[in-house]
Amino acid sequence: MIPNLRHPRTYVSLLVLSLLVLVPLAFNSPFVYHLFVLICVYGALATAWNLVGGYAGQMSLGHAVFYGVGSYTAVLMTINFGVSPWIGMFVGAAVSAVLAVAISYPTLRLRGPFFALVTIAMLEVVKLLVVHQGNWTGGSAGLSVPLNIGLPWMIFREKLPYLLIAFGFLLATLWVAWYVRQSRLGFYLVAVREREDAAQAVGVNTTRVKIIAAVISAILTSMVGSFHAMYLTFIEPSAAFSLELSIQVAMFALIGGLGSVAGPLAGTVLVLPVAELARGWLSSLGSGTHGFIYGVILVVVVLTMPRGIVGQFGNRVRGLVDRLPRLGTITEPKVTSQLHHVARPPQGEPILKAEHLKKNFGGLKATDDVSLTLHSGEILGVIGPNGAGKTTVFNQLSGFIRPDSGSVTIAGDGGGWLSPASPNAFARAGVGRTFQIAQPFSGLSVLENIMLGAFMHTKSRAEAEQIAREVADLTDLSALLGTEAKSMTVGGLKRLEVARALATRPKVLLLDEVMAGLNPSDVEKAIAMVRRIRDSGVSVLLIEHLMQATMALSDRILVIHTGQVLTSGSPQEVVTNTEVIQAYLGKGYESAKPGAGGSERQDRATKTDAIRVQDGKGYQSAQSA
Amino acid sequence: MKTFARKCLSLCAGFGMSLIAAGSVAAADLKVGALYPFSGGLALLGNESYRGLELAVEERNAAGGINGQKIALVKADAVDANQAVGEARRLTSVEGVSAIFGSYSSALAFAATQVTELAGVPYFELGAVSDSVTGRGYKYVFRSNPTAKNFAEGMVDAVTHVIAPALKVDPKSLKIAIIHEDSLYGTTISGFQKEKAARDGLNVVEILPYSAKTVDLSSLILRLKGAKADVVMQTSYQNDTILFFNQAKAAGFKPKALIGAGGGYSMADTATALGETLNGAFNVDFTQYETREEGAPGLKSFVALYTKRYGTAPRSGHSLTNYVGAKAFLDVLAAAGSTDKDKIRGAVMAYKKPVGSTASGWGFEFGEDGQNRQAKANLMQWQNGKLVTVFPKEVAVSEPVVGR
Amino acid sequence: MDIFLQLIVNGLLLGGAYAIISIGLTLIFGVVRVVNFAHGELLMIGMYAVFLASQQLGWHPYVSAIPVALMLFVTGAVIQRFVIQPLLKADPHIQIFATVGVSTALLNLGLLIFGADVRQISPGFGAESFQLGELSIVSGQLVTFLMAIALVGGLHVFLQRTYVGRAFRAVSQHRYAASLMGVNVDRMYVYAFGLGAACVGLAAALLSTQYPVFPTVGSYFTLTAFVVVVLGGMGSLYGALIGALLIGLVDSLAGYYISPDLKEVVYFVIFILILVVRPTGLLGLGRGSE
Repeated sequence: MIPNLRHPRTYVSLLVLSLLVLVPLAFNSPFVYHLFVLICVYGALATAWNLVGGYAGQMSLGHAVFYGVGSYTAVLMTINFGVSPWIGMFVGAAVSAVLAVAISYPTLRLRGPFFALVTIAMLEVVKLLVVHQGNWTGGSAGLSVPLNIGLPWMIFREKLPYLLIAFGFLLATLWVAWYVRQSRLGFYLVAVREREDAAQAVGVNTTRVKIIAAVISAILTSMVGSFHAMYLTFIEPSAAFSLELSIQVAMFALIGGLGSVAGPLAGTVLVLPVAELARGWLSSLGSGTHGFIYGVILVVVVLTMPRGIVGQFGNRVRGLVDRLPRLGTITEPKVTSQLHHVARPPQGEPILKAEHLKKNFGGLKATDDVSLTLHSGEILGVIGPNGAGKTTVFNQLSGFIRPDSGSVTIAGDGGGWLSPASPNAFARAGVGRTFQIAQPFSGLSVLENIMLGAFMHTKSRAEAEQIAREVADLTDLSALLGTEAKSMTVGGLKRLEVARALATRPKVLLLDEVMAGLNPSDVEKAIAMVRRIRDSGVSVLLIEHLMQATMALSDRILVIHTGQVLTSGSPQEVVTNTEVIQAYLGKGYESAKPGAGGSERQDRATKTDAIRVQDGKGYQSAQSA
Repeated sequence: MKTFARKCLSLCAGFGMSLIAAGSVAAADLKVGALYPFSGGLALLGNESYRGLELAVEERNAAGGINGQKIALVKADAVDANQAVGEARRLTSVEGVSAIFGSYSSALAFAATQVTELAGVPYFELGAVSDSVTGRGYKYVFRSNPTAKNFAEGMVDAVTHVIAPALKVDPKSLKIAIIHEDSLYGTTISGFQKEKAARDGLNVVEILPYSAKTVDLSSLILRLKGAKADVVMQTSYQNDTILFFNQAKAAGFKPKALIGAGGGYSMADTATALGETLNGAFNVDFTQYETREEGAPGLKSFVALYTKRYGTAPRSGHSLTNYVGAKAFLDVLAAAGSTDKDKIRGAVMAYKKPVGSTASGWGFEFGEDGQNRQAKANLMQWQNGKLVTVFPKEVAVSEPVVGR
Repeated sequence: MDIFLQLIVNGLLLGGAYAIISIGLTLIFGVVRVVNFAHGELLMIGMYAVFLASQQLGWHPYVSAIPVALMLFVTGAVIQRFVIQPLLKADPHIQIFATVGVSTALLNLGLLIFGADVRQISPGFGAESFQLGELSIVSGQLVTFLMAIALVGGLHVFLQRTYVGRAFRAVSQHRYAASLMGVNVDRMYVYAFGLGAACVGLAAALLSTQYPVFPTVGSYFTLTAFVVVVLGGMGSLYGALIGALLIGLVDSLAGYYISPDLKEVVYFVIFILILVVRPTGLLGLGRGSE
């Protein structure tokens, strides 16, 4: 809960932050106070915005709506009911929280510019309604705060109390931002921002995570808004629900560096004083001069350092700061190995059952009455020609596609059967999966990627890290833990996929072509890895084009063809099954030799697959989808 | 690209530096702040208002300043309330001004006066019309110009005293429509219109607010047409005034009389943009230039001064209003003989001028709330491309023409 | 009934004005995949150019349409080349802010050069109205409406029949695949942005007969243009046309039957609903939730 004060980064940050109070004290001029109150207010707003805009990657340009709701609620409560803004701001925060849910729930699936536009529209609607509801909002005439001086009313003659309160809000907001960033929620937000599917596969309820971020951000924004209204002592709709304010706040965060804790404040400290002073200096030069220069600077900053100040200089600063001594002795938290194994049914019992799955895409019957059972401790290979519907079945088994009819059930811990409703529920029920095209969270390190999976069963960062290290051991990734996921090789990425799924401690692991595109030595490693996984008690279902690997690994093989189960049995039975050869090569090729010509029905891919079945070496040229 | 960016930045920085140097003034000067919206949507009239203040100050400086001190104007640009607070803080603390003049916009005045009152710096409002600027019990906020209530009542009085008599009908038989842009300005004035019209027993058939940012008023016009409005009172900015006239003409809507509440109706640019179409429209506003000189001594010389200084005729009465107000308050500062806030308040309270003695025709006499009681809005009409004063008689230069 | 008919006509004609502005926006979005927040300021530049041509050279706005469109083509191309191009691979956030920066700079540049004065051209043809039975119609609005339809048709032919047009479509469908087919993607982006801006130039000339010009004139139209484009489906030309006509009708009818100050609320609510229910818009290309 509390940052480690002995760490140089923490105490340096606090020292730097204290300047926000010390500098105005030194100058002791009301304008300097005003400037620093503004820095604190905008810094807090930008930090709060960053929770949604930076962490969750949802570009809100209507954040002033929460600021305005906070302002209006606090002021209206003061005027109408004589309630202190200290209480009113919590009422405002509650209203904003409800509004945040109402706004974000329906708009969750919107991204980038679309989300930005819808937030702008929401802001406009609320503003127009506030203007229209003049009988209780004061309409466009705005509301004046009664000037009752004193702490209960948040109104003071001197500027110092304002500064201290604003600074308090800033500290609180920064603390929340820091706490979220290093918590499980922070990891989940990054995961959701980068790859929603992969996040769901490790049990992240993406809807919930996004809404939580929106609500926290709205509450903070709203409370700062309440304070700022008391500071301005006058509010009106066009200033409180202002698009310019929303853009400005987002811009500070962007210039500072999205997604970092310090970025938004850094951006505010750099830009705001310049903008405020420039308005004074430049207005004598003709109207619009400062606005013009402001716009030009914005463009130049965006072009020269798109990752913001923190992205540009963060590492250098951190390096310098880290050279400072730690205060006192280093006490690393000790975590004992806690990879507690989940209870599994005894060997050979059914653990996952799919019954009569049907799925149509338009007129195409992608899955036509597929049933399968996976048993505890077995490796089930699923093969079939390209386009046979393997991946569709796979996606139904992991909840990413809902079958039109039929059911997927998973053995629960208590002996019953679960039928989860969403991908993340599948993950939490014990189904881990990988993606055919690796989906690493490229901004995170390998360790952090695996931790994302581990977080499914623990909130503790230390414990998640411990689990991740153990899983890394199992998947040959220990040496790569510190590297960024985006700089990994294909083999590494595929193993990372497996590791992340494994870290959720699944009962069942679904592997989608984890060996495609690997070189021979990596394939050997992968085969050994899958065996180790099975031996650790996890049942494995694997889709694979590498016949050699499938044959070598699988206890049982299921052949899917045109959306139906063609046959199933031991590897040997399947290879010699004439129907299977027909399916791969077409009729008349029951005794086909490798390299034989094909009928018009076949395509190249099925041919190569069949060749692989026979010569068992085709994996070197295996395709990458 | 990088080096280009760096050049740009250094250029900007250099720019800023030279400005700081230029902004500094000799220590002996009397610094006063000028807080107006110089950029953003209100920039046009903000600038026009400032010119009046600037002329008054220049004139005073040419005549020796205030008790031997030259007056130095410190400009401050505030587009919204938040910026007004910031700029007022800057003026009062960093620049250390003795008083602040402002601000054209009531929203800015509200925000800025909250700061100046607590800082104990006198604030002289020269143009914002919202009544509550001086209605909040502040000791050091003074206003020279008439208020929204004066405007609204002037417009309703125009119906009873000018339009109905000219049409030879009972004012109560006229169907009146009130349309207004829905920000502070329009809402405030239309509110007072409603009150006054109800008090006078007039028949208001439509009250239609609209956003000044709209690009289409044709539906509103159809509603006015449907309601068969005889008199339309519009409170509007410039763009929506132009839009309304153009679209009313296109829709063939011709009420017996149109009355504006200053804003867009007073601007010379509106007349340029609309040409003939604007002729016949009434307007209640601060004193404009086609006013009888006997009732407003010094008006001609103001116009001459303005034209000489800026190369064009005044774009609206805002400059005159600010000029007259600023002159009065500069007299006050001279009479106070000090920058002490209570001495200045004393001097304001003691300052009196009879009606008809200033270039706008106003007199001066301040109430306890700091409001000038002797300022009023006149009724004007656009006749042959000129905004001429038609009522009251003392300052009128022409007869009102109704129902052409 | 007469009033209703007049409202419909007014709405459709107003829709024509919205359409002519939105076409450029949707074109730029469709090809470059950038939401151009500086769109309104391009309109402002165009309208000032038209105004100057009328004042200095005595050109009728319709005459200056072509030169102004060319001028804006260059402006748009420059913005694309020097501001958007370096950011193509960056986060959408960054692109949005780049265009916001351009918008702020241009708006204030307008203020700096021209001051805040409201200027209007009195062009004669284009500003007057005529009667059609009971209906009154402004000639300039009718011209704008017809031009909007012609522009959509023309662009459709351009996109289907010419090399550059086909290249636009290829680039918009798959940037990388198009580059493999030998399309110079960067150049296509510059052309597309320029073309989108040129459409705004045309819009500026057409609207100058009815609307005055001032530095913030763009902001009066931009939000509506966004609503129109999202409603019709980002990137869809016909969508923009239909969206614009719908919003025009909503504007006209809501302004009459509800209240003039609530008409924005009505179409913003429609906008939000569309984004929530069908983010691809009426005729969108299925990329709404991306």
